[in-house]
Amino acid sequence: MKIDLSQFRQMFLQESTEHVASMEARLLELRASPDDVELLNGIFRSAHSIKGGAGSFGLNSLVRFTHALEDMLDRLRSLEMQATEEVIGILLQSVDMLHGLLASEADREMPAEAAALLARIDALLTSRSPESEDRQAATAHGGEGLPPTQPRADDVAIYRIEFRPDPEMFASGANPIVLLRNLAQLGTVSSCELHSGDLPALRELDPARCYLSWTIELVSIRPVEELREVFEFVEHLAEIVIARLDTRLDTRPDRFTNQNAGQSMDHPEPAAEDKAPHGAAPAEVAAASIALARQASPGKAAGAKKNAEGGESSAGSGSIRVPIDKVDRLIDLVGELVIAHVMTAQMVEDFEPSLLPRLRESVAAMERNTRELHERVMAVRMLPVGTVFQRYTRTVYDIAQSTGKRIRLEMSGEETEIDKSMLEMLGDPLTHLIRNAADHGVESPEVRAAAGKPAEGLIQLRAFHRSGKVVLEIADDGAGIDPERVRAKAVERGLIAADAQLTDPQLRMLIFEPGFSTRDAISDLSGRGVGMDVVKRNIQQLSGTVSVQSAKGQGSKVTIELPLTLAILEGLLVRVGDRTLVLPLLAVIETVPLRHNQIVRIASQGEVVVIREESIPLLRLRRYLGLALEGTDADEPGGHFAGNAADNRRLAVIVEAGERKIGLVVDELLGQQQVVVKSLERHLRKVDGLMGATILGDGRVAPIVDVAGIAALNLFAFQTPTNVFRQDKASVQPVPADSTQTRERGGSAHELV
Amino acid sequence: MRKVLIVDDSVSMRQMVSFTLRQGGFEVIEAEHGQDALNKLQGTAVDLMITDLNMPVMDGIALIQNARKLPAMKTKPILMLTTEGLASKKEQGKAAGATGWIVKPFDPDKLLLTIARVLP
Repeated sequence: MKIDLSQFRQMFLQESTEHVASMEARLLELRASPDDVELLNGIFRSAHSIKGGAGSFGLNSLVRFTHALEDMLDRLRSLEMQATEEVIGILLQSVDMLHGLLASEADREMPAEAAALLARIDALLTSRSPESEDRQAATAHGGEGLPPTQPRADDVAIYRIEFRPDPEMFASGANPIVLLRNLAQLGTVSSCELHSGDLPALRELDPARCYLSWTIELVSIRPVEELREVFEFVEHLAEIVIARLDTRLDTRPDRFTNQNAGQSMDHPEPAAEDKAPHGAAPAEVAAASIALARQASPGKAAGAKKNAEGGESSAGSGSIRVPIDKVDRLIDLVGELVIAHVMTAQMVEDFEPSLLPRLRESVAAMERNTRELHERVMAVRMLPVGTVFQRYTRTVYDIAQSTGKRIRLEMSGEETEIDKSMLEMLGDPLTHLIRNAADHGVESPEVRAAAGKPAEGLIQLRAFHRSGKVVLEIADDGAGIDPERVRAKAVERGLIAADAQLTDPQLRMLIFEPGFSTRDAISDLSGRGVGMDVVKRNIQQLSGTVSVQSAKGQGSKVTIELPLTLAILEGLLVRVGDRTLVLPLLAVIETVPLRHNQIVRIASQGEVVVIREESIPLLRLRRYLGLALEGTDADEPGGHFAGNAADNRRLAVIVEAGERKIGLVVDELLGQQQVVVKSLERHLRKVDGLMGATILGDGRVAPIVDVAGIAALNLFAFQTPTNVFRQDKASVQPVPADSTQTRERGGSAHELV
Repeated sequence: MRKVLIVDDSVSMRQMVSFTLRQGGFEVIEAEHGQDALNKLQGTAVDLMITDLNMPVMDGIALIQNARKLPAMKTKPILMLTTEGLASKKEQGKAAGATGWIVKPFDPDKLLLTIARVLP
């Protein structure tokens, strides 16, 4: 039987990514204490672990790269070499490269950048290696070999070596593997291809004959003569062709700036949201529901696993590492559950009234087990936010380096746990906010000194729990957000009227509006085409909220509030037509009975309900989700939208998404319960306005309304905050039901998106 | 510790080579000529043999040919000590199955480097 290790590959990649993160953190520490052997040992161990694993999965580029790193780190930890800024810089670039190699899972091909970086490491090692000097001296003594000058990094060459040993090679005591080893010592093997086509069937194989040949690509600073010398003893026993592939590698350091590396690693797909399909027809909800119902049928372990990843699982990787004791406890619980089930079944089988108390007891035990199992399974998905925080030390370091600022990053609450799928989606928004803080927030040392602040800027990244939510704060002590500059820009961008009456906090919230980010005002570092609106959208996708506080001259603080988990939520069950829908309770502010005379229609814009003198846009879920199949016209004569007598039996559930309020029209409240979020089948298009669905106790499927998604749909033109602000002055007028200006919105809402 | 058999009729050369090899961390066995070496190879397994070519009783070429017939030495590295001028001897040695060569005059560093090139 063939032993297949590929199942461990994902685990290895994940583990390695953690190693890379820890190497990076330690390297940054190393700057302060360059001869801390413990730190160097730690970095070395990480490189070594990655190398070991990479070999098992045939990730050869990774093996070679980590091997070179090991050489360098070994030199450093034996203090033969100094961890100068240059050396640490190269190591940091190497860490980036490792990250990239891990992400691409490169099998054999070594990217040119990696090969070039390796050559630089090699050059660095060679130029400082006492051993290489010995070697040169020895060769010189022997009257052959390379001239006694120090090799230079820009003499890097890529050689291709064809090595076809004679079948009789072994008879002279020569060992091809030894030759390959010697060759590899002259540089870095970027690829090594084994040709085994001549290998005969086992029964015809003569172990004394060599059937194999190799094609090797070597990145080296050595002259070709030295490569030939490796094969000196076997020239008559092998066919050896050495060709130089490159002309000359461009190894100027600016090709490897951290900035470039960061760009390719951190933002593999900028603004992926823009590519997400919009406008799935409401009719697909029904199809999705059917698919879900099928999925929910018993015995579909694979489907259940996928669902456990939550609605947005496609954004994250598919594995999770769980401490063994957590798993053991889960297994114990399942065991207890099975026993309780068997006992219960037995009692039901032989039931007699005297057994009733024991039956109750055993059902109660099952219930306890189920609840505990549920809680513990949910806990498995929780990871400390520190795993994401780690990388920001580097982000801040890079920005400080390139801008000449001095910035300290303080982190707290790294142990705060959050759902894995959310954690993965938090990376990009947080990166953006940290970059913003470092790049725009913190001032240059001169400006800070002039303002009487310490020269070193401070960015604080905090995580903590507050009333059932996870709160993340990114605070800086920089220049703050100037409301007047925001106003000027917002007016310029046409986001608000020039004379709009807005408070400073309202003005600051405008930075989250689409179209606010100004490319010209934003430097290369935090630019990248990702604006604060994307940050906000990302957070909203996680059912979270984002807000900003700032004081001019004193700094800014962005606060993100997130639910603990996406996979389970406290839901409000409502009836719409004959359907049951779930609204996330977190988003619900209140429920009010509708009075048709409170409903106001606004030309070309839709309906609003006026509650306590506040105009709140209304969305008829029944119409939006395509559930108005029966009795619609009777209920809503003529205008499709008109507030009418039938509305008096209905309710408006007022929900909040960010700073927007929307009234969702429902027929009845059914109750409140925790629901498990299941994703809609992947082959169906994502339905705007739904975040998933859940299976109710009676087996029916209930779609879960995505409040943030609905708010983002722009169904209501007046709902953008700028317009909400303007609305203070705009007059709200009732419109006749038969007005030609009234457009049918419900069915065609998507066309407007 | 890896074991090397050094075969040379010159005592001084043997001692020099032996000393260098011991400094290099090898265990050394010495033989005076080809036949002596073959006898020693019967009872002891070695990792490497270094042999002079011009020797009494049995010369280096014959030694290499015979050693290659011993199962234990079939694929072991064998280095010959040659002098620059004797290209034909070198060719004979290669044909007999020598793995490589060390050119005299004897240089300790060069010896160790060459050994490192052929030992697994």
